[in-house]
Amino acid sequence: MKHMTTRVLAPAFLAATLFAAPAMADKADDTMRVAMAEEILNLDYNYTTKREYIILAQMTDTTLFDLDPRTQEYKPAVATGYAFVDDKTLDITLRDDVKFHDGSVLSAEDVAYTYNWIIREDSESNASGTIGRWLDNAEVTGPNTVRFHLKSVYPLVLRDMAQRIMLRKAGTYDEGGTVDRDAMAQELIGTGPYKVKSFEPGQELVLERFDDYFGEAPAIQTIVVRNLPDIGTQQAELMSGGIDWMFKVPLDLAESLGATPMASHLSGPDLRVAFVVLDAAGYTDADGPLTKVKVRQAINHALNKADMAKFLIGGSAEPIHTACHPAQFGCDQSVQDYPYDPEAAKALLAEAGYPDGFELELWAYRDKAVAEAVSADLSAVGIKVNLRYVKLESLNQARASQDIPAYIGTWGSGGTADTAAIARIHFSMDTDRNLSGDQALADEVLAAEQTNDQDERAEIYSSALSTIADQAYWAPLFTYSANYLVSPELEFPLDPDGLPRLQNASWK
Amino acid sequence: MLKYILLRGLLALAVAFTVSLAAFFLLNIATDPAQAIAGEDATQEVVQTIRARYGLDQPLPVRYGQWLVGVLQGDFGESYYWHKPVAELVAERAGVTITLALAALSVTILIAIPLGALAALNPNTWLDRMALGVAVSAQAVPNFWLGLIMIILFAVMVPIFPVSGDDTWRHFVLPAFVLGASSVPAVMRLTRTGLIEVMSADYIRTARSKGFRGGALLRRHALRNALLPVISVLAVQLGQKFGGSVITESIFAINGLGRLALESILGADIPTVQMLIFVFAIVFVAMNLLADILNAALDPRIRIS
Repeated sequence: MKHMTTRVLAPAFLAATLFAAPAMADKADDTMRVAMAEEILNLDYNYTTKREYIILAQMTDTTLFDLDPRTQEYKPAVATGYAFVDDKTLDITLRDDVKFHDGSVLSAEDVAYTYNWIIREDSESNASGTIGRWLDNAEVTGPNTVRFHLKSVYPLVLRDMAQRIMLRKAGTYDEGGTVDRDAMAQELIGTGPYKVKSFEPGQELVLERFDDYFGEAPAIQTIVVRNLPDIGTQQAELMSGGIDWMFKVPLDLAESLGATPMASHLSGPDLRVAFVVLDAAGYTDADGPLTKVKVRQAINHALNKADMAKFLIGGSAEPIHTACHPAQFGCDQSVQDYPYDPEAAKALLAEAGYPDGFELELWAYRDKAVAEAVSADLSAVGIKVNLRYVKLESLNQARASQDIPAYIGTWGSGGTADTAAIARIHFSMDTDRNLSGDQALADEVLAAEQTNDQDERAEIYSSALSTIADQAYWAPLFTYSANYLVSPELEFPLDPDGLPRLQNASWK
Repeated sequence: MLKYILLRGLLALAVAFTVSLAAFFLLNIATDPAQAIAGEDATQEVVQTIRARYGLDQPLPVRYGQWLVGVLQGDFGESYYWHKPVAELVAERAGVTITLALAALSVTILIAIPLGALAALNPNTWLDRMALGVAVSAQAVPNFWLGLIMIILFAVMVPIFPVSGDDTWRHFVLPAFVLGASSVPAVMRLTRTGLIEVMSADYIRTARSKGFRGGALLRRHALRNALLPVISVLAVQLGQKFGGSVITESIFAINGLGRLALESILGADIPTVQMLIFVFAIVFVAMNLLADILNAALDPRIRIS
């Protein structure tokens, strides 16, 4: 409904701009108002997963390390440094000036408690799976030092520490022996640059600059997050000065309103990529056409991904030929590319024994225009596509039953600029997303997570990505772009990883 | 009468349970609540954790049975997202929706009855046609479209009302108009028909002979009788306003039951959806019952049994 209403009304909105006064940002009261369609119900990122919550957690919480989105390096945050005692023992030194929003000082006990809580079975944290994979336990070794005992070699420790675990005071979730997983859901006590002033779940969150924050103070005093489910309403609020920032804006609408004096359109990169996954393993048909490498290569040649990126996604979207985002560590761009060439596709199909094409059931769950473009391109080379456009949940269920010959997938890597964030979940043998059935490839992908040597990791990913490309397990499509509409008074820097960092906004 | 009310009450419960049963199975077949809670990019581990946490790994009949047993004990369960009893959640939001529904009904009355009277007093003239045109247009225009047009006109171009929210009475003006507009045709046409019939009645002729004319005749003699069926229709319309508030509340970001219903359906928050369906069904049947009772009370010729 959201997109339909806005598309229907785009001309009316534009007409309104002729009569309406320019939007007034709240520079005067130093309050930035932002809109989110997703209802904000829980402020504790240790118990949430969605992107909106990552955006909020960056303001209210801190982590041991920070990811520099420009250099992709992990820099000290609450930690001042780290040292590997051996492959499975990591010592972390902490700052001594980190304060919680209630004024108490963060200690080594707090850090150890947080990590040990997350991996406890009864924590049921959404981060348990990620951290439990590598952490055996965290041990306080001094007033400002914590030792992490790892279960195995794991090169992405700093990534997980930087992105997944928000630090809590010791006893937060089990004070007095009573487990309370919602302890921080509404009355959050974090250590970030903003503290919670008020919170009405599903309606409004008011954040106020935290003066005792140990890092660089944000420029804007107050940030108000409003839940506005309809994007048309968000636009109207932006035009009337009710909000200063909105995201996930459809490109056509962003361009239309951004061309008026009432709002600025910003388009930045996004780590999300789109791709077609092909049942090379033959789960749906042991001897079907997709089990033949030439057919899969033909599909790669048949897709005009450059036009899809340019006309259907727009902004900074780019075609890709790798099973990862080019900005991710290890995403070797020298692997086999299959340029758009319908004739080559037809020739490969004929060589594979399908001169008249074949019937293909293609599943998709988002970006219907892209799904239709893929179907049209495949039809043009003789592949008769039966497009199954369904809800994500239905696709997931069918995929779990190995009942999908091909599907258009997307992956955002959780904002992590490392090939590990996309490779493991799609090519290890314990995931139903892996339709390649390639054990050697799965071993390689896991091997890249068994060493701390970055050069070695890059080499392994290079080899794995070459296999994926040569075997055409995927038909990579394009990267996405992130579109924002902001008040003309607002300076909002965009980062290469596509994650909006509201704490970096300032007034012009 | 009491027996009739009890029977209708039982019917309401039967309707509510039937709808809830259908909704429960349809929602679970069409969606995976664990995936919806976890989000698009969640790993299987996270989805499995959530599935186990909420008992979503149990067979559907078992889960429905558990829900039913809970309901019979007055426990409608806990929202997957809000982590609080859904009964509490619904109670918190009900006030806003009731306010909106009553405001919308007032809008309907204020527009439809004068329009119906105008049409009835000038049958088959351009005024009649115009009134009909206005009424039909109000019904034909979708809520979401009218809502956004009203926002553009009266919150952006001429900013006299806020775009969204539910803090003050001013926040309810536009959504009440949007929600109320869809009921205008039914009420307007009923008013028109009723008035045309009444205006040719003997007692109106008598009133005219006594010197009553124009507004006085309309107010003191004609409308009173012509509006009897309208009142019962308004009761039904009030019930429909609750269900109809889903889109309106979402467009105007009003935190009522309608928006809660939409968000819960999109997020596969099944316990909340179940209770909302229950509430909507009960309200709808109750309003129909109220209409019947009002009809009987206002018109002695009608007896309900």
